[in-house]
Amino acid sequence: MRILTKPTSLRSITPLRLSLRRQSTSVNTLNKNELPFTHTSTGPKEVKYTADHEWISLHPDGTAFLGITKYASDALGDATYIELPEVDREIDANESIGSVESVKSASEVYMPLKSTVTGINEELENTPQLINTDPQGKGWMVKFQVEESENNGKIMNELYTLEQYENFLKTAEE
Amino acid sequence: MFNVLRRAEVFNPKKGFLRNRHRFFTSISLKLDNKNEHSDYTELNTMYTDMFDSDKFKKEPGLNDKSELEILNEETEELLTVKHSSLNSTELENCVRNDGTFVIRSSSNNPYYNLALEDYIFKHTPLKATRPNNRLLFYINDKCAVIGKNQNIWQELYVSEAERKGFEILRRFSGGGTVIHDLGNVNYSFITSREKFSRSFFNECIVKWLLESNQDLSISLNSRSDIYFDGKKCSGSAFKIAKGKAYHHGTMLINSKLDSFNGILRPKNEKDIIWETNSVDSMRAEITNLPLETPERFIDICTNGFQKSFSDNEMNCLPLYYCSEDVTINEEIQKTMHTLKSDRFKYLHGPKFKLKLPLTGDEFSVENGVIVNASSPEYKNMPFQNFVKCSNLMQPVYNGKF
Repeated sequence: MRILTKPTSLRSITPLRLSLRRQSTSVNTLNKNELPFTHTSTGPKEVKYTADHEWISLHPDGTAFLGITKYASDALGDATYIELPEVDREIDANESIGSVESVKSASEVYMPLKSTVTGINEELENTPQLINTDPQGKGWMVKFQVEESENNGKIMNELYTLEQYENFLKTAEE
Repeated sequence: MFNVLRRAEVFNPKKGFLRNRHRFFTSISLKLDNKNEHSDYTELNTMYTDMFDSDKFKKEPGLNDKSELEILNEETEELLTVKHSSLNSTELENCVRNDGTFVIRSSSNNPYYNLALEDYIFKHTPLKATRPNNRLLFYINDKCAVIGKNQNIWQELYVSEAERKGFEILRRFSGGGTVIHDLGNVNYSFITSREKFSRSFFNECIVKWLLESNQDLSISLNSRSDIYFDGKKCSGSAFKIAKGKAYHHGTMLINSKLDSFNGILRPKNEKDIIWETNSVDSMRAEITNLPLETPERFIDICTNGFQKSFSDNEMNCLPLYYCSEDVTINEEIQKTMHTLKSDRFKYLHGPKFKLKLPLTGDEFSVENGVIVNASSPEYKNMPFQNFVKCSNLMQPVYNGKF
């Protein structure tokens, strides 16, 4: 069984990326040189992953960033449009905050935490390709403030660590 | 012609899935012989009879020189006239939320209902660890133009012209470009797991099933996995991925009034109307009908193909359910219909854009459907939707262009 199998049409286009992914467990690691990491000088206090292939970087001041994983963006193919939420919008846990459109597919992106949108990556408007080239860095989608609550803490605990996410991908592929 | 073809198929022993069908009919027909009231059998036979269209096969009984085959065919046709019943809301919820692979047909032609029903089935199909819960939905919409989730309604369509011609305008939840529907077009929607999803898979199935039904049909897939007949596009596809699941839905033109589609889709690169936007493009293509007798014929072919290909057991025929707007409805579907009808989703959703009208010198920037900047400041903060309605009066040079 495989999670997020590449469509056959895309398989032939991205063999290089596929083989890279198999050799390394780090393709889904956050890019340490871009805002989702560098928002605070010491880096985020936590980076977590969802089963829907989103990543979250949470900083000590409660600011967080969300995007999709390299694994997901490889599987989707070339992004043509990124739908993002309005700034100041309050989001319920597990609500859709936008979508990545690629090759006639709208792929929904979800926010696992109850939060408020404080910024969006405007670069994606003119350069949706950042979702493919650097989804865990320049291709971040949403900046948000996480509401401090028991429930959010619980959700954060339940989300995958990088290692758990990689294992999730591995077991899903078997 | 239609009936002749159907019969030939039912009794063609070379085609495996049709053998199945033969078997079912034989056994059910024998039982029917014992009683006269078809209604008594409605429930019993739903599973099998629902595979077929019930309206198309009415025939006068009574010639004396009937062959065995003809008698059997008559029984089959009698069987086919058994009225199918639609799922009620509880039955819908049960069959959607529980594991299972099935075909489901909407008998409604209301595009809002059909898109909302599709969304409901997609959202509530359970994820399964092993074989995915594959579902195939069919619906036929009344006249409408349907744009992709991330498109600009005015850039895709001559909105006033579409409305004048009686075409409803909708934004859908999936990606891709703009398509036009009418009663001669079938919409199919194949729901599967994200892990099994591939953009080309289901159209490959359709082409295979169509060729099995008629090997001379000149159909093929292009590089974008669109189905072409005689070198022209007869089907368009779009996809949606969410929560571990995906659907591929598409249109199939069978006997659409293609002439009536003229003048609704805005061509690219009009010289007097200039758009600057990152919205998703529609691929313009010459279209044609696929020459099948009726839309129902297409549904039958795909239903049979699906039941044959997706059943894990040759004897176990996958169920076919019917939905109708009056009984197969629930709060969630109504809520989604409301969303689809709302100005917020139709007009205030979608990518930002700039519009330049060189003939009048006007320029606009529009975000979330509202004019945020305009060369004439009085238009600022006006929903673009309102602007175009009055602009047709104010600027005769662009009359009918929006």
